[in-house]
This record gives sequence, structure tokens and C-alpha cells, in this order.
Amino acid sequence: MFGAIRAITLAFFVLLSATCSSALHESDVGVVDWHQRSIGVPLIGSSATAPVFHRVGGKNTQSFVVTATESNVLGVVSPVNGSLVWRHVFQPEDRISRFHKRGSIVASLSGPGGATLRTFDILTGDILSEKQLHPPQVGLLAEPHHLGTYIAFGNETNGSPDFFVLTNGHTVNHIVNGKVKWSWTSEDKGSLVTYSNLITTSQSIYVIGLAKSFASYTLHVTTLSPVTGEVISTSHIPSSISNGLTDFIVLDQAASRPHIVWVENNNLQFLELSPTLQKKPSFPKDKLFTKISDVGLGTRGLFVALKEDGTGHIMAINSGFMESIKEFESSAHSESATESLYAGGLDKNETPYVARVYWSHALRLVSVELYAPYHGGGQGLLSGFSFAFDTYQHGVVSHVTFDAANPQPYQVIGRIAITTSTGSVQLWQQDTRQWTREEGLADINAVQFVELPEKLADKSERSEGSFGRFERQLRDAKDFPKYLMRFVKRFATGAYESVTSPASAHAATTGIPSRDTFGFRQLIVAATTHGKVYGIDSSNGKIIWSRILGLGSKAEDGAKIIPIENKLFVVKTVGDVDGNAEVSGPGVPEVVLVGKRVLKSGATTGNLLYHFNALTGEDVISSKKSSNLGLLQGTEVADSVVDAYCLNAEDKGKVVVILDSEMKVHLYPDTTTSRALFSSYISSFAVPIRLSDATQGQYRVVGHQITASTGLSKKPEFSAYPTWTLSLPEGEDIQSIVPSTGGPVASIGKVLGNRTTLYKYLNQRMFILLTEPHSRSSVVASSASSSNHKTVCGLYLVDSLKGSIVYKTKLPVSSTGSCDVKAVLTENWLVYHYYDDEYRGTGQAKGYRIVSVELYEGKQPDDKIRSSDMTSYSDKNLDITAYAQSFVYLHGVTAIATTSTKFGITSKDIIVANTNNKIQSLSRRLLNPRRPIGRKPTTEEIEEQLVQYDPLLPDDPRRVISHRYVVANTRQIITSPALLESTSLVFAYGLDLFLTRVAPSSTFDVLNENFNKMQLVLTVSGLAVAILCTKPMVHRKRLKEKWYQ
Amino acid sequence: MARPTVLFLLCSSLLFAVTCALELNGKISWNDVCPDYKQLGRARVVLDDGDLSGSVVKDGSFSISNVSVGTHVLSVLAHDHWFDQLRIDVIDKTTIEVRPYVVGTPLNPPSQVLLAYPITVEAKGKYNYFVPPESFNLMGMLGSPMMLIMILGGAMVLGLPYLMKNMDPEALAELKDQQAKMSQMQNAMTSGDFRGLSALMAAPEDNRQNQPATQSPSTGKAQGGKGRSNKHKKH
Repeated sequence: MFGAIRAITLAFFVLLSATCSSALHESDVGVVDWHQRSIGVPLIGSSATAPVFHRVGGKNTQSFVVTATESNVLGVVSPVNGSLVWRHVFQPEDRISRFHKRGSIVASLSGPGGATLRTFDILTGDILSEKQLHPPQVGLLAEPHHLGTYIAFGNETNGSPDFFVLTNGHTVNHIVNGKVKWSWTSEDKGSLVTYSNLITTSQSIYVIGLAKSFASYTLHVTTLSPVTGEVISTSHIPSSISNGLTDFIVLDQAASRPHIVWVENNNLQFLELSPTLQKKPSFPKDKLFTKISDVGLGTRGLFVALKEDGTGHIMAINSGFMESIKEFESSAHSESATESLYAGGLDKNETPYVARVYWSHALRLVSVELYAPYHGGGQGLLSGFSFAFDTYQHGVVSHVTFDAANPQPYQVIGRIAITTSTGSVQLWQQDTRQWTREEGLADINAVQFVELPEKLADKSERSEGSFGRFERQLRDAKDFPKYLMRFVKRFATGAYESVTSPASAHAATTGIPSRDTFGFRQLIVAATTHGKVYGIDSSNGKIIWSRILGLGSKAEDGAKIIPIENKLFVVKTVGDVDGNAEVSGPGVPEVVLVGKRVLKSGATTGNLLYHFNALTGEDVISSKKSSNLGLLQGTEVADSVVDAYCLNAEDKGKVVVILDSEMKVHLYPDTTTSRALFSSYISSFAVPIRLSDATQGQYRVVGHQITASTGLSKKPEFSAYPTWTLSLPEGEDIQSIVPSTGGPVASIGKVLGNRTTLYKYLNQRMFILLTEPHSRSSVVASSASSSNHKTVCGLYLVDSLKGSIVYKTKLPVSSTGSCDVKAVLTENWLVYHYYDDEYRGTGQAKGYRIVSVELYEGKQPDDKIRSSDMTSYSDKNLDITAYAQSFVYLHGVTAIATTSTKFGITSKDIIVANTNNKIQSLSRRLLNPRRPIGRKPTTEEIEEQLVQYDPLLPDDPRRVISHRYVVANTRQIITSPALLESTSLVFAYGLDLFLTRVAPSSTFDVLNENFNKMQLVLTVSGLAVAILCTKPMVHRKRLKEKWYQ
Repeated sequence: MARPTVLFLLCSSLLFAVTCALELNGKISWNDVCPDYKQLGRARVVLDDGDLSGSVVKDGSFSISNVSVGTHVLSVLAHDHWFDQLRIDVIDKTTIEVRPYVVGTPLNPPSQVLLAYPITVEAKGKYNYFVPPESFNLMGMLGSPMMLIMILGGAMVLGLPYLMKNMDPEALAELKDQQAKMSQMQNAMTSGDFRGLSALMAAPEDNRQNQPATQSPSTGKAQGGKGRSNKHKKH
């Protein structure tokens, strides 16, 4: 039976792939698309996750930079060229807590309390083992996340090391060959003492943690037997630590006994550990230090301690004594330099180095001091250099790690990997930058496509006189033979612009970017949560410009700008020209971005609006041309922005409308014309706003309209007032509002095979409302009391002017009680995806579903209510018919979008990003909700291109537009029309960036790729030759005929 | 540096699920489609909607922890290979039933086929994302029927006069006769003169019936003579 079904599926599959013409040639890879793999911004908060150099030994040593990132990725980057060696993307619920490395192995702990231990081969990224140590549900949710976890490497058995793993702050497991050999859990289960470090020696294992006591913490150490895991001794160490984790470090030198070092009341103390814990704490000679910093050289007995004035000292422990071996000169707090960052590193021979890095305000350089305690004949060797870090491009240096080389006895070369506040990772070798990775692009939260202007003649050419023109043409004439050659070649071989030619061919010329023939080259303006805006070339993914968002006038220390999600508007396109196009040339596209200023504490103080040139990133507000050097300056807008829109009044211009929490409307630009323009659109301006309801602790959606009033200053002032609110069923809460995908509508109806017409329900005010169960607690309660109170996810189509529900459906919640519904609405077509885990009923099965819904006017074909220009208040408005069909899709979906084309004539495909790290296009033909079920399509239906319904959407690899690329964790997909009607650009972003072109109805408006120009030319020339040959013959024959007639 | 807040929150543990949960083990068996870990790349084995999952490690094995009692659908998420899905029934802590499952079919009633536990799955195919390009080929171009007809036509135009020269005069005459008739027929067709057409169609039969067989050689002779004289003139 299965065989038969599979055979049918396969036959269908083959049939489909035969008809599918939009598949990619292998040669187009990297030409029509590009893909950038990222790892995300390194987690620099703790040495457990921050970037670190690692050298793998052997004959030819190889070094790597290993880091865990905010995007929940463990990544390994080559320090030579910055390329990504490998990465492991953790699942969102499996947050990475820490990684440790030794030799060729990297081990990581992830999930709540370090639930899962994984080991990787550092060279290849192969997963060597994966072991869950405790169920995630019983995991300790600690903040910081790495707290209560630790990995210590033990002896090697059969080539793989065994591990001592501390999880949940109170359990130690000894893992040999992937099996737990012994496990120890502290008696109080972490309620009093939270362990955070492990030191292994041959005699004992020291488990070190903090016990919370009144107003401070006390160090606590337990020693375990490495063989059996039995407790040897446990004791509190008389200490009082106020800052928790940052105030104590552990030094585990191989040669001597391990030590704990901590700061207590501005005094440095240390304790030598012995299995029986008999020793008493002692002090160094000069004990007045306020802070200690772990530079990762604990195994060498080195760390950095800071005096109260900020002076840094390298401290070392030697045979039971602690002393300062080096004081960094002038490292005290000062006005001329930033706070110093300290880091430790090694060279090829594993000799330790300590670096101090700071930014000098006076020199505008980053200065590095490298100190090698054991070089220079044992006296210590200090060397230094500085490099020109571009602070206006990359913010400030927030983390440093390095490795060093010592080619000659008195020469030290440093290789410094820095992480900046904008999320870029750079490597500097001495004073030259080797590479930069813009990892901030993994956190894009607002993005827009911007069309590029056509390349026109220079301005100087337009203003030249007739004589000048003649002279120029004469000059250009010398290129004529070259042009002729090119023309002949092009004519003969057909090397015309084709849809699969790289758009970046035009990018060769520097200066202002210009578009290519078919408009495949556009600019992607993207803003990241790290407060930076990028202009990315859509043809190759290169960054053309980037700017940091300025903090504005009310800046505070530690504050940063976070763009409001998707509040990036193109306010001027290439088509918008001031005055005469001949004189001014094509319009310069301009973009407006709304961002919020967030303080270190997480509170929002004020919002800023940035208005800049999309081609160069230059400020538009302040017309200073030199502003390119500094930060992008914003203007303060409303204190608390609820929502922002862009009113597009066709050729009259665009106005950005900002609504604040008091429902006052702020316009940008705030001029008389824009106010007049906005007043004329007031009546049709209706917006749904998600408001939190304080009394119920849930969200409501309230429709708003705008009213105008004349203020004191005689200027019209606008404010929004609520018009409707949606009453949802008990227990449902608003999850999100998804606006409809706009774009031109080419036809208002669909002509059927029997010559009747189904008129599309085209209500442009419709939006999607997704709901979820009210709160987590109610879900748990309901799942316990089984089915009598069933929680559901809701999906509604709502009219924003009146608040009437046009279409609604209820979907099952996932096993974790959350709603993960992805939906997209375009014209009259709604497509949504969800997981259905109900399988007990007949004919049901667990799996992902994609549902396609089309809304048509009236009850039957030929019914017409003119919905596209009907008012919401008409009673006919809800007189619609919905056609829906559900399909089985194999994978989960993280983002969904439709293609968009210039005129909307081309059929729309659905583009999805699935959990198998692929971007796939789903054909409109297969998602047609009117496919005949259980029978062959009739001739009329065949005419409509309807195919028989099959519940399974085939997983056709030829429709995987990301093909071999692993496009991880895509959060959103946006599409943009090209100049060719058939083609649409697709940009997927999330962790990775991916861009390609799709042609849902195949490229009908350009010659087919397979069109054989050569054949045509050969045939034509063959015919020409034939004519030439036969002409004299015919001529002779004619003559002869005349002669003999 | 921010003062780290040491915050402990014990997750509300679903004790029931934890106590009854078990570990599901399995292995990818390497085959021709997917011979080793390197070919497979990073792969994950997921249950249902991916809430529970396990990575495929270097030796091809995988394990999924915390699996609760019930029916689950197991699928392998590999980027470049496709695998069959399996139905896993966890009956109690020790009994696990593995059955094949075909996507798009109802989960119940379960298949009668029971597979072995620990689970063994193998790759069923490798995704082919590309269509082969069509390259320009002179022989292929010349070999196409359209081109053949054209070439043949060209050859006929050039070669026919010589062919006719060397042809047997009688056959030539016959051919000319036929050609004349054909052109007549065509003329009749285009002008819509169906009577003329039918007359023409009937003509050859009439000829054969009315004229005795002995007459044909004489006409042949006459024509032949004419042909010969023609030939003579040309030279």
C-alpha cells in the first residue's frame, strides 16, 4: 500500500518538476543570489562565552577564534582571513551558557542550568557527543545564564577526554565516553550554596561556589574524590564578597596547588586549596585593590588587579606568595583616555602575555600595551602599538582578546580581536586591520529596499554648450572602433543582458551606485538593534555605507538607540524629482528611520527620527556635507511613540505620521504642505493599535481615526481617537497584528472556465490579527483539566475602519502552549501555517499545515459588490465567500511572505523560510484553494490550470531557492519588485542574509535563457549565403528562358 | 561593568512528564546515498513540531531525551538528504514501538509493520536543487528535424537541375505531367472551383479506362523523342 502511495507521490513529483521551469542552473549560484553566514554578536559579558583565541597543536599549528554569541551560536572564525570555519546554531530554547576548549575539542553547555553537554571537533565542527544531563524543565534559570555551570576536562580515555561537569549550580557529573560515571548533588540542592567553578587535580575535585549570607556572599568549597565522587570535605571560607561572581577568581596552576583569589572590603585575599581545606586565607604584601579581572590566564597563575584609582597590576602567585609583577603606568582613570580593558593571551610556546587596551581621546587611536612576564631574560618585556580605529564607523571597543608571537627575543607581535559596540568583530595585527565581520547584521530589525537611480551623464555634461559637446563627442570618437568590435561581438554571440547575469557588473564603477538594466541592483537599507544603519548592495551583499545613529541632545552615558521594529520608511524615491528632471537629474532616494533611546536600565527615554540619503547615508536634516564623518544626527520626536506610518500620497509626496502614547499625531516633515496633505487623507486614515490593558493584564486592539483641531498657534493639530475595540473570546490575548502586503492589483476578478467571474474581495483596510491564550498559567491549568476548556490560537481578518471581523478561524496551540502561527495576506488571498498535533480522530495526522484562503464577493460567481472602493459601513461589506484548502507541509516555518512585482500581473508565489534552514517558494498553482478534491479536473478546470487536490505539498528541491546554502534562523522575508514585471527580489534576514531573484510565472518578458542566438544567426547567415549562391544561377536561368522562348 | 544580579528561579517543573520521560535512541545507517557524516552535514532528529530533538553525532547515532508517553512522529532534518518519517509509540517506560509512516496519510490506524528499536533510519535520496544547463551543440543543432528539412531543401534547390538533366527522359516527362496536374489542382483549390477539381481527380482514372494499354508506349516514345531533342538543343 505504501509503495503504491509513494509511486503516486513520485509520479506527481516528477510531473511537477517537469512543468516547473523556474528552477535554477548550477552556474547561477552566486550570480543571481548571495548568502552571508553570520554568527551573531559575541557574548562579551563573561569569559565563559566571550571570544578567545585557541591554538590547536601538532606539527603545523592552527589557531582559531572561538566565541558564543547573542544569536545563540557557537562559532569558530579563522583569524587569518576572518572566514567562518564552522558554527553550531543552538535551538532557541537551548540557550548556550558556556564553552570550554582543550586541544581539538570544544565542549559546550546549553539550556536551563546547563542541561545539555555537547562536544565538537574544533577543526571541522563535527558533533562528537551530545548528552542531556537533566531535563530542561528542572533546570535552574539563572541570570547571568552561565552561572552555576562549569566544564573541567579530565583524563583522556580512548582518545576522548572525560569531563567533570557542574550543572544547575549543585550537581557534578563525571562523564566518561558519553556515560555518567558518577554524579554528586549537594545536599541542600543549591538553595543556600550555588557552585560556579570546578578545579580538577589528581587528588581531588574542588567545587567552588558562593553562599548567600546577609548582605554579601561567602565562599564555599567542597572537595570530591575524582574516582568515586564522594565528598572529602566541605567548608565555608571566612570571607565576605559583595559583588558576587566578579569579585572572585580561581587560579589552577598545573605546577602548584589551586588558589582562590577574592576582594573583600577593598582588600585582596587568597587561599591555597588543599583536599582537606585546612589552610587559612592570606594577603599579598600590598593588598589594597578594589577590583580583580580574570584575563583567562588562571592556569598560569596570572590575573589583573585594579587599585582604587584604576591603576592595573599584573598579579602572580609563586610558591605560596602573591605579588604584583607589573604595574601598568598611567593606567589610572583619566580624562584623556577611556577605561582600560585587560586581556590575556598566549603565543605558540604557550607563554603568557597580558594586554592593556584603551582609547586615547587625544590621539584618537586605540593603544595596546603587551606585557610578557617571562620574556626579556625573565625580566619581563613590555611592547606597545596603537592603531587607528574608526570610532564613527564602529562605535567603541567593548571587548578584546589576543594572541601573540615572539619571532625574536625582544620583539612581540600582537594579534588583537576586538568586538565593538555596534557588533562588528575586527582583527588587528599590530596597526593594520586584517578583517572585519559585521556581525551586527544578525540583528536587523528594520529594513527596506530602495531603488537606485539610473546612471546618467555627469552633471557637467548636462550644462555644457554646443561647442563643448562637439569637443567631447570628438574625444569620445576615438573609442568608436572598440565600440564597433563590442557591438559585432554582442550581435554575434547574443551576450545581452539576461535575467541571470550578475547585477553587480555595474558595481565596478565607484561613486554613487546606479541601477542595472532590469533593476535587480537595488539598495537594502537595514538598521540593527546595535544602533547602526547599513546600505547594502543587493547585487552582491557588500556594504556601501554605514552610519551609527547618534544619541541626540539628551544623551546619557550607556544609552543606546534601538530602531523601532520596521519603522523605516522610504520618503523619497528615484521617481520623486524636484522640479525639472532634465536639470536636477534623477531624484535622490531618502529614508526616514524612527528609533528609541534606551537607557542602560532598559527604560526608554525619548524617540529620535533620522532622515538620510539612502545612496550615501548622508544626513538630510542637517545639510552639513562633512557630517559623513560623524554620527548620524536625529531629531527628537514624541517622548513615547506608539506607532508610526508613512502616508504615501502618490505624486504629492510622502509624510511620516507618528502617534505618541497620548494619541497626538506628529508629522514629519512638519510643514504647511504636509499638514494640508495629511488633512486631506484624514477620513481614510484608520489604524488598529495594540494597547495593553492594565486592569486585565492583557492586550486589546483598538481602532483609531484622526481628528483635526486648531491649536493655539493657529496650526492645525491632529490627534487620534478610538473608534472601535475588538471583543475577543474569553482567554484570548492579542499576539500580533500583521498588516496586509500592499502592491498593485492587476485584476479585480478571476474568470472561470465556464466564463463566469469570481470577483475578488479587495478590502485594502484588512489586516491579520493573531491571538494566543491569555497567559501561560491558564494554559497549564487547562492542559491539566484536559479538553473541557480548550485553549486556541485565533486568526482574524479585521477591517481597520469599522472593526468588523471579515474572516476568522481557530487553530490548535502547540504542545508547549504557545501559538506559532505565521500568516500573510495579499489582495484577497490569505495563507497561514501552523502545527496540528491532533491525531486521534480518523483521517488526522500530526504535522504542519499550510492553509490557503481566498475571499470572493457575494455568494456565487458573477456576484459583485465592488469591494475595492466600497465603504466599510456598507452592510454588504461582509457578503463574501471564502474558499479554503489545507495542505500538509513537511517543515516548520519561521517566516512567510509573498512575491511582489511591479504591476502585480505576475502570479504571486509564497516564499517561506523553513526550520530545515531553507528558503522555499510555494507555487500559487498548488496553493489554489479551488483544486478539485477526489476527482480529475474537468476541461473547464484544466483551462483554469487547476490540478487535482493532493493533501501533501511536494517538497520539491527545485523550488528551494536557497539551494545548498544553509540559511539559518530566518526571522523575516521581504520582497521587492524589479523593473522586469516577471521578477521579484527576495531578501531573507535573521542570523544570515540571503538574497535571490524569483520569477513565479517564469521570465515571460525577456528571451528565454535557452533561446539560441547562435542558431538564429547561423540560420540567417546560412540563408544569406544560399541566396548569394543561387542568385546568379537564377539569373542565368531566367536569361536562358527568355532566350529560348 | 553591570553588577550581576544573581537570580534564581526554579522552573515550574512538570513532574509527571519528567518521571515518565525516557530517552529515545537511534542511528543513521550510512548507505550509498549518504555514505558518511561529512556528506550528511549537520542534521537533527526531531519529534513532532521540533520541541524535542537530538543532533546526529559523528558516529551517526542520536538520542532524544525527555520523550513522554504517547504517539510521536519522528523526522530527520538534514539539509541535503531526505529521510522517511517514523511513527513512534511510547507505551510505557520500557516499551517503544516504531512504525513506518507516510507523510500526508492519516496517523491512524497504525501500520502493521513494526520496525526494530533502537531506531535505524537511512537516507532515501539526495536533493537535487538544479536543472542541468542546456549547452550549445552544433551537431545537435544540425541534427534537429527542422534543420534537416532546411538542409535537404537547400540541397534539392541546388541539386535538382542536375538531377533532372541526368534523369531518364520518359520519367521526366511523366514527372512534368504530374507537376502540371498538381499545379492545376492547386489552382482549382485556391479558386474554389470544385467541379474542375473533381474533374481533374477523375481524369487519370478515365484515362486508364478509356485508353488501351498499347497506346501508352507510343506516347512514351513521342515524349522521349521530345526529351531527346530538348537535350540536343541544350548542348
